[in-house]
Amino acid sequence: MSGDINVAVASFIDRLKRRQVYGSYQVSLETLQLLKRFVSAARWSGIDDLIAQLRELGTRLGKAQPTEFTCGNIIRRVLALIRDEVEDEAALQNQLRKTAEPMISSMFSLLQKPVVASSTSLSSSSSSSSSSPSDAAGSTGQQQHQQSSSSNEHPKADMRQIIIQGIKDLIDEITNIDDGIQQIAIDLIHDREILLTPTPDSKTVLKFLIKARERNNRNFTVLVTEGYPNNTQVAHQFAKKLSEHGVETTVIPDTAVFALMSRVGKVIIGAKTVFTNGGTISSTAGVSSVCECAREFKTPVFAVAGLYKLSPLYPFDIEKFVEVGGSQRVLPTMENHRVGNHNRLDTVNPIADYVPPENIDIYITNIGGFAPSFIYRVVWDNYKQQDVNLED
Amino acid sequence: MAGKKSKSSDKSGNNKQKNEVVQDERLQAIVLTDSFETRFMPLTAVKPRCLLPLANVPLIEYTLEFLAKAGASEVYLMCASHADQINDYIEKSKWNMPWSPFRVSTIMSLESRSVGDAMRDLDNRGIITGDFILVSGDLVTNMEFDKALDFHRMKKSEDKDHIVTMCLSRASQFFRSRCHEPAVFILDKASDKCLYYQDIPLENSKLKNSIAIDPELLEGVDDFKIRNDLVDCHVDICSPHVPAIFQENFDYQFLRRDFVKGVLTSDLLKKSIYAFITEDYAARVESWQTYDAISQDFIARWCYPMVLNSNLLDDQTYSYESEHIYKEKDVVLAQSCKIGKCTGIGSGSKIGEGTSIENSVIGRNCHIKENIVIKDSFIWDNTTIGSDSVIEHALVASDVKIGSKVVVQDGCVIGFNVFIDDNMVIPVGTRLSETFVEKRVSQFLDSESYSDDEEVVSNGKSTNALPAVKLVGEAGVGYVYESDDAYDDDDSSVLDDGTNALTHRFDDMYLSDTSISSLSVKPKKKRRSSTSSATTFAGRDEEYYDDDNEDEDEEDFAAEAIATVERAMENNHDIDTALLELNTLRMSINVTYHEVRSATVVALLRRVYHFIATQTLGAKDAIQKVFGQWGPLFKRQAFDEEEYVDLANLILEKAVAQNFEKPEFIVFSALTFLYDEDILDEDAVDAWWNQVTDDPAYDQAKVLTAKWVEWLRTADEQSTSEEESEESDSE
Repeated sequence: MSGDINVAVASFIDRLKRRQVYGSYQVSLETLQLLKRFVSAARWSGIDDLIAQLRELGTRLGKAQPTEFTCGNIIRRVLALIRDEVEDEAALQNQLRKTAEPMISSMFSLLQKPVVASSTSLSSSSSSSSSSPSDAAGSTGQQQHQQSSSSNEHPKADMRQIIIQGIKDLIDEITNIDDGIQQIAIDLIHDREILLTPTPDSKTVLKFLIKARERNNRNFTVLVTEGYPNNTQVAHQFAKKLSEHGVETTVIPDTAVFALMSRVGKVIIGAKTVFTNGGTISSTAGVSSVCECAREFKTPVFAVAGLYKLSPLYPFDIEKFVEVGGSQRVLPTMENHRVGNHNRLDTVNPIADYVPPENIDIYITNIGGFAPSFIYRVVWDNYKQQDVNLED
Repeated sequence: MAGKKSKSSDKSGNNKQKNEVVQDERLQAIVLTDSFETRFMPLTAVKPRCLLPLANVPLIEYTLEFLAKAGASEVYLMCASHADQINDYIEKSKWNMPWSPFRVSTIMSLESRSVGDAMRDLDNRGIITGDFILVSGDLVTNMEFDKALDFHRMKKSEDKDHIVTMCLSRASQFFRSRCHEPAVFILDKASDKCLYYQDIPLENSKLKNSIAIDPELLEGVDDFKIRNDLVDCHVDICSPHVPAIFQENFDYQFLRRDFVKGVLTSDLLKKSIYAFITEDYAARVESWQTYDAISQDFIARWCYPMVLNSNLLDDQTYSYESEHIYKEKDVVLAQSCKIGKCTGIGSGSKIGEGTSIENSVIGRNCHIKENIVIKDSFIWDNTTIGSDSVIEHALVASDVKIGSKVVVQDGCVIGFNVFIDDNMVIPVGTRLSETFVEKRVSQFLDSESYSDDEEVVSNGKSTNALPAVKLVGEAGVGYVYESDDAYDDDDSSVLDDGTNALTHRFDDMYLSDTSISSLSVKPKKKRRSSTSSATTFAGRDEEYYDDDNEDEDEEDFAAEAIATVERAMENNHDIDTALLELNTLRMSINVTYHEVRSATVVALLRRVYHFIATQTLGAKDAIQKVFGQWGPLFKRQAFDEEEYVDLANLILEKAVAQNFEKPEFIVFSALTFLYDEDILDEDAVDAWWNQVTDDPAYDQAKVLTAKWVEWLRTADEQSTSEEESEESDSE
């Protein structure tokens, strides 16, 4: 691999570590740009080699900033794209050889690999052979064999073109993600409804609300929680922007959520990451308690998330996924006079929150609304099982 | 869609332009890797300060990380001592890789002995092309530098003479890392322009001073503020003039004390310095104390987003767990060991059964065996600690071997490669090194400024270089490093002494600004030192040292205060001025009013004696003159009966001590005078007389007074009886 791309990767990792790149949207776009360069610069002997290289890259990026899941999501998406491509070719050859799959195995693999509507025309029913996870390991060899034969037909440059085109499509998808969400959003908000949002840092939520106001000219009130201590300023700006667009807006302290919940019609949260189980990591701390309140009052909770925020990971260890921020936000540095051995004063400042799937009623993504229990299907539409764990 | 596209292309165009602008303004950074101090001895005899690990990351990494974030494009490291080690380190580090955000180069400035020398060297080399960042190699901060840079540029456009922006961070009185170079900044309220700078001696130092500001400096200033709540972590944005100014003033040694003060007070230079005040975390690792404090702050995430689990070094694999516990990969923990809050453990380390660790940082590949207690300590890489040992608030450097059942007490520093045998006790504040480290005699005017790490390392050939067998055991390896601070008597060493220990004991002392807070601390200090003295057999005797120190303080105060009062009397100051001076003195040396009264009494009596001796005035007139004018001082020095009793006692005592010809007369007239002036009241006199000393030495002096008191009492009785009778009459 050329040194140039190595430099690009390393400096991206440094920037990730230094948090010069942050926020799911920014990170995902930069990751895609990097992948584009990576794929066009990479030299590979076979498709498996490229996949291995990408997996290694994914591992490095994941380690650089373990709580920025979008990096890993994007790489997994691209990997799935490549694998799909390989499968398609394999399927084509299979079709040529006319070795039809036994009916029974495709029945079993239904759950793991739902038939993808969005996948390219060729695939459809015949693509199931190598994708069932039970024989994933076995299929790799098979794939290799197929791939080596296919690579004869399709020159490498062609494959490169296909991947880069795929990446470009992904970039388009992400940049236009809000449009998709807004289409669905508009019908969800009723006239004279009171909404509450505990995630003022979500641009998607902001655009969603503004669109609902502008397009439908509906009158509704938005309550914005303050998000002390990390998001207070952001919350204020969020409220200002909303009010500028003619939305009735009220900023409320985090403590008032329970008291006001009885009057709230819907809770709208922005998700930072959505896991396979339908749980989500929100971008602000305090969301979990808001959702808990909402459940108490049977208020519906809508989570807004772009498709790229879906992660094939399962939140086994929540503690690992919730980032802890700086203590100076909780207690000003000024006050930090824990002297000598009598410091029993500790501060903990989590900056994200895990919301379990049972506290969320529906996810609104750019491809439609889904119940949390259905998220796993959407995940397996977009990712491949063998890429869940990028480390070998 | 078309509109969008054109927009985005506009944006990219803007970005390009911006990039060009940024490229035009290359930001240079100078890192002073040498501190030119010896606070980290004996460790710095082997390794330079900026490569010592803080929370398992070499100190220089924090500074370079800060510079990377700040957007520096060229970084120059000024190396003096151990320059080769720093050079090697940088060459192998990620900063030397092609993807490093800046170009890093080391400058061998081996002859430099102070910051001033380094700056002059810099000027000679002519590297500086524009404004540059000047930082030291031991900075830990999460400061948002963009803001400071914007501030600098804004001020520069407003004020052409602007040469330095100092980045200061605000901190409270008790902030742990504000112990070195405490200073007062006098700033223009409107523009944050620094008008004057004055370093202030530490509270526990004997050097006392006040701040004198030349009124000329304040000309044309509407409002100004005097601040000493600023942590000065030596992050400066300098213009290229700065090295040149150092060049012109070849006697400048220190960045602040000499340079900033010099520039501000100079009539010729007419340059200005601004202060940028940030609320972010910023501190320098200057001493064991700040090492301890910053390390704990870093672990407790005060420096977020710079945290241990962001893995500053490429090969680090820290992950975060609740209660601020950080663990690398491949840490082996026994099932029954306890890892408490605020702890970091490096990879390859093994923690044995029953061991408990709290508030500590453990390096890589450490082997910590069973039933060990480690609290508030720092264990560096490759260390082995035997079973049943106790390490509390100590620092154990790399490759140390500690046997079993060893007790390492508060504030110890165990140097590289030291071996401590079983069953040893390392007493409070001991510093051990592998080889004997000889101190070099300071060759500079200021004894604080001798260079770091230049000490001659001889292999135990020196006469007094005997291995500390008592401490490390027969099989052990180690020499005691005696800090020269302990023996030196000058003021700067006191300053060092108070701040250069890792021990908790000193934590309490050095932080206080006011006499009130230090009063509350005192009893604690005494208690601590008395417990420690029992176990101290190497090094100095703490208790003796402390007491001695205090006695000296009091003596100092007495002499100073007497001089103050005498001066006031001679120059005919008004009484308020004298009082103010006395009060300041009292606060700064932190003594009680008793001492103040005593000093005043002595001064007044001496004056009286002087008048009588030179026969200018008779005893009574002299007393009347002196006490008439200065007696009211006592009104502000004594506030209740007890204190007036004390005052009367003092007059008696000091009058005798002064050897007057007729002490009885002096005492009598002084007391009656004070009584007449309503300074002493009857009850006080009465109470005093009841408990007055029976010492025969004072008998003569008491003769007249006795009669007076007797008279007072009867008069009192009479008056009361009269009053009573009057009352009864009225009834």
